[in-house]
Amino acid sequence: KGRRGQRGKSRDCVLTEMHLNVTDLGLGYSTKEELIFRYCSGSCETSGTLYDQILNNLTQNRKLVSDKIRPQPCCRPIAYDDDVSFLDDDLSTYHVLRKHSAKKCGCV
Amino acid sequence: DPAISKGNNCLDAAKACNLNDTCKKLRSAYITPCTSSVSNEVCNKRKCHKALRQFFDKVPPKHSYGMLFCSCRDVACTERRRQTIVPVCSYEDREKPNCLNLQDTCKTNYICRSRLADFIANCQPETQSISSCLKENYADCLLAYSGLIGTVMTPNYLNYNSLSVAPWCDCSNSGNDLEECLKFLNFFQDNICLKNAIQAFGNGTDVNVW
Repeated sequence: KGRRGQRGKSRDCVLTEMHLNVTDLGLGYSTKEELIFRYCSGSCETSGTLYDQILNNLTQNRKLVSDKIRPQPCCRPIAYDDDVSFLDDDLSTYHVLRKHSAKKCGCV
Repeated sequence: DPAISKGNNCLDAAKACNLNDTCKKLRSAYITPCTSSVSNEVCNKRKCHKALRQFFDKVPPKHSYGMLFCSCRDVACTERRRQTIVPVCSYEDREKPNCLNLQDTCKTNYICRSRLADFIANCQPETQSISSCLKENYADCLLAYSGLIGTVMTPNYLNYNSLSVAPWCDCSNSGNDLEECLKFLNFFQDNICLKNAIQAFGNGTDVNVW
């Protein structure tokens, strides 16, 4: 499991964007407006702090056995995109989404 | 209702804005103060106006005019266009002042005074000219008009079946100044130069100017 075929590492944690309808977000808004959604994806194997390295070592030499421990950092937003706003289909209500989309990713 | 389910130019402009980082950011930056109620008021009008001025000052005309001057064929489109400036906060007020009084208020403010002067200079109609504008420059007229948004003279579309615009004022109680008041109000409401400029932008018929 998880053994990488080539010497090359799996793609590092990066910001990726997609063009969506606001309704695709599944937040219950009814509008025909659209937005760019940016998210973080990729692996965090190469990065990490000494803490991560120790957790890894402890798990490997079985000094630590727990399924609630994540020995690797996760690729997550470390900063969020600017707010986005849109007019509802009722043509009188505006909605503003905050912290809805990533701006910068990091292994945290 | 097919008129509402179909797309339109104003909707397309809103979509284009949200796909552009600057437009998206400055749009939300005015929607937020213009729709946040504060202590029994609909909004903080001063903050809403300031953010609207920044939107029209900093967003490229392709996007800002796209939303404000989009051409429409149905009510879903014209109503969206009318909502662009969040009129419930930036435009409407409990009372409608007399237009000449509003003009006096405008003249006490540096930004409003200069922008109103620009508007009167750059949207001056001239029936003899091909463009119907004395200055023959639609871009300057639209720039001057949009410059009034975020001042006490903030204009908006009056109804959904014409390009008639006006600030939030009327000419009741004008006394001896009725004629002067109507002349001022009609410069907004019934201005062929401004109407042609808006129409030309909406139809993309004046492309070389942008």
